[in-house]
Amino acid sequence: MTRGLAATVLIVLLPASVFSQAKKNAVPRASNGKPDLTGVWQGGSDRRGTWEEANTGFGVGGTGQDSAAPAAPSSNDRPAGREGAPYQPWAAQKVLDSYNKRAIDDPTSRCLPSGIPRIVTLGLFPQQIVQTPTQIVMLYEYMNVFRVIPLNAKHPDDLIPAYMGNSVGHWEGDTLVVDVTGFNDKTWLSGTGTFHSEELHITERFTRVDKDRINYDVTMEDPKVLTKPWILHSSLMLREGTRLQEYVCAENNQDPESYEKLLKDGAKITRQ
Amino acid sequence: MARKLSGMWRLAAVLTLLAPALLAHHSFGAEYDATKPVTLTGVITKIDWTNPHSYFFIDVKDDKGKVANWKLEGYPPSVLSRTGWKKDVTMKVGDTVTVFGWHARDGSNWAHSREVTLENGKKLFFGPPAGTGDGGNTPAVEVAK
Repeated sequence: MTRGLAATVLIVLLPASVFSQAKKNAVPRASNGKPDLTGVWQGGSDRRGTWEEANTGFGVGGTGQDSAAPAAPSSNDRPAGREGAPYQPWAAQKVLDSYNKRAIDDPTSRCLPSGIPRIVTLGLFPQQIVQTPTQIVMLYEYMNVFRVIPLNAKHPDDLIPAYMGNSVGHWEGDTLVVDVTGFNDKTWLSGTGTFHSEELHITERFTRVDKDRINYDVTMEDPKVLTKPWILHSSLMLREGTRLQEYVCAENNQDPESYEKLLKDGAKITRQ
Repeated sequence: MARKLSGMWRLAAVLTLLAPALLAHHSFGAEYDATKPVTLTGVITKIDWTNPHSYFFIDVKDDKGKVANWKLEGYPPSVLSRTGWKKDVTMKVGDTVTVFGWHARDGSNWAHSREVTLENGKKLFFGPPAGTGDGGNTPAVEVAK
């Protein structure tokens, strides 16, 4: 009773701003009561604010006013704090060989789609989620690729192996769970050289924990190359005021030609 | 000028040490040498706002008055626009700029462009730090020798 009274007094004494702040940070809900993931997001970041506020300093390139700002991960880089990839020994050697060749094998250097989860954890380009009660659409500025994710549906039985795979989703409480299969073996998972087979199966969990943040938890399974499921935790941050733009990679891609010339000329590009 | 240069070198050292992560599209280390920072001042001759990377070219005059045309590489247009650049406004052909970046491995007049000091003294990033896109400081896996 005393405790209840104390709580009441505390609530009465709490400034109104605390409640308005909590309301401001509340998870937006769709008309069906589910969290609404709609918005433009930045992967590989945990900083709140607009794109400019969150990406100054060494980051994506901002104004340089905040030199403490972290760099945003590119499509080649490992998200911070991620566990090591549990590759089978022969496969680990293959990953390392690609790493030592400084990403020359990288499919994106030939403008091919970067696959999943690589494209989701990438921080340099924004991504957009459009949510409806029956399907969720994810759009990516990087490589201008998209995913249409029907809810409570089964994967088609006539899948053709694809760079972005085939996604279906469902809600588990407030978490959107996306099951992805039907991959080709031409993308990297997360970080230089992280190849996989066509047996790749990915489970993604999107949980909007407040207005600004979606926790993104991914489990990658591939018995042909991994010894156990590989789990990665990352986050997407809301970037109000940012819009997706065009990215036509093949427009002026000089990289493969440069690499070949450098190799031919004997440039040392192996990691020292 | 000496002071400015020293600042540039300090920046180079810091960036090289930190150099954690990020490139638009491909490995920095495949094409550029992070141990060879370069600062160039010259007149813009051409700007290509293209994907996956943008380029601009500057005429740089050496002590003897000999002019060499340098190629500088950086972010694609969408990233440049989020970094504060406006096409045909921020930097134009004929402008004199100072560029800090890293030399290409092939030793030609080609460099990665990190920071550009514009004619009005304003500084903007045209590309990411050195070492980006290389998969971080350690590979995703470790292989027993």
